[in-house]
Amino acid sequence: MNPTDPTFGTSIDFYVILASILFTIGAFGVLIRRNMIVLLMCIELMLNAVNLLLVAFSTYYGKGDAQIFVFFIIVVAAAEATIGLSILIMAYRNQKSTDAGLFTNLNG
Amino acid sequence: MDALIVIFITGLIGLFTGLLKKPTLNLIITLCGLAVAFALQLNYGFYKSPFANYQVLEFNVPQLYFSLLAILFTAVIVVGGFGYFKRDASHTGDYYGLLLFSLCGAICLIGFTDLFMFFLGLEILSIPIYVMVGIKKQDVLSAEASIKYFFTGAFATAILLFGIALLYGATGSFNLNEIRTVIQSGEYHTSYLLIGMLFMLGAFLFKVGAVPFHFWGPDVYQGAPEIVTAFMATVVKLAALVAFYTLFNITFQELGYFWIGALYFAIALSLFLGYLGALKQTKFKRLLAYSSISNTGYALFALLSTSHSSLASLLIFLVGYGFSTIALLTISMAISNEDDEIAAFKGIGYKHPFIGFIMLISLLSLAGIPPLTGFFGKFSLLMNAYNNHLWLVILALISSAIGAFLYLRLIVLSLTKDESDKSIALNLWQYLVLSICAIGILGGGFILAI
Repeated sequence: MNPTDPTFGTSIDFYVILASILFTIGAFGVLIRRNMIVLLMCIELMLNAVNLLLVAFSTYYGKGDAQIFVFFIIVVAAAEATIGLSILIMAYRNQKSTDAGLFTNLNG
Repeated sequence: MDALIVIFITGLIGLFTGLLKKPTLNLIITLCGLAVAFALQLNYGFYKSPFANYQVLEFNVPQLYFSLLAILFTAVIVVGGFGYFKRDASHTGDYYGLLLFSLCGAICLIGFTDLFMFFLGLEILSIPIYVMVGIKKQDVLSAEASIKYFFTGAFATAILLFGIALLYGATGSFNLNEIRTVIQSGEYHTSYLLIGMLFMLGAFLFKVGAVPFHFWGPDVYQGAPEIVTAFMATVVKLAALVAFYTLFNITFQELGYFWIGALYFAIALSLFLGYLGALKQTKFKRLLAYSSISNTGYALFALLSTSHSSLASLLIFLVGYGFSTIALLTISMAISNEDDEIAAFKGIGYKHPFIGFIMLISLLSLAGIPPLTGFFGKFSLLMNAYNNHLWLVILALISSAIGAFLYLRLIVLSLTKDESDKSIALNLWQYLVLSICAIGILGGGFILAI
């Protein structure tokens, strides 16, 4: 497709692919990084990929409910980040590090 | 809906009365709130609720019983943990408040008719538990369990949300009835729907703690305080299983050809990996966590059959499993087993025959020995699946034998004579909890008669 075409990028598939790429970057980040603050950021990236996808679908169907869902996700993501950062601080006080790989007391 | 509001307000009051540092007052308020919620939920549909037009939550007969069971489990856990709360008086209010908020989420998950409510319920259920797992701030293990649960839980939530977004893209609706109509009419975007469903299946297997997403379970169960472990093993598992059933067995019923294969695989692995992992454990809570993985495998049999009775068998199974788990964890608290070693249970039947008896029946019920509730639950779950899934039922019976070996070993340990003179004392509340659990374990099978 020609990028100068005014209908370029209006197909829903473009948004699905973009959201999937963002989501995959986030998911891989969670799987391979060890710094817990970066892990939180990666989870945030995954949630924002979902937001993008929902907004795109909302426009596609011409309905507003998915956009309201996005507000819910933003609120819940904020709550999760709050809890996550406070848990992280607590863990840092015990471990003196934000490296997720050092938590090996529980295993078996 | 009214019960939900009552529980939420009770939680708020509990959070503030916690400042007075009077655990007994807190306990009474919490129990009163739970009793009112129980009564409201019991009379659901018999009186005119001011929120009758609120369509997002709907309780039919099986869901109603599950919500009652969730409230009952929470009440029993709150009472059983009272001795623990009293020792930690500065955090009593936090415990009560967070447990009740989490229960709100569980009730949302049991009665949802809309993916909005489903997502909110799941988060309201999970977020207080992230906090409660790590509530022993100075304890290294508790902090580690909290970190592990939080990151895996948040990851699963993100995956679930991506599934919900794709599902919306495929069907154009968040309402379960509308989604089901679209699926029946066949006018959906197939690849979005199937991929979205697969994502949701993964997230659900994570939340109920089934293989291959079970790895967090043992670590989190071991690190968390006993109360929180009991809550996670009963109420959270119950709510997640009911939501799993509502979403997959009712809404996605027509697409069963696609997800049942994946579920088959998860159930077969859960049945064995749970019990085999439990065999080599020396920590009690870890052993319970592994055995709960296998029990989840049994509970997931309810999803394989579309008949109406499968939800009833799930209910009986959860009554047996839940009361046994609560009883065992209460006993573990009562013998002040700080190191969480299984060896601490040695000779407990001699030192305190009442505890010995409760331990005996709860382990036998988990092993599935008739006439205890665990047997009826397992039996009716497997009977429902027998016609269409014979091989899986055979696997379940083999794994049941491994489980029986595991539990009988614990019974033998608790009945072996022990020379050490460590005395055990139960407080009044623990007697009450263990008696209620005994009634549930001995009499739960009679639910079948109703």
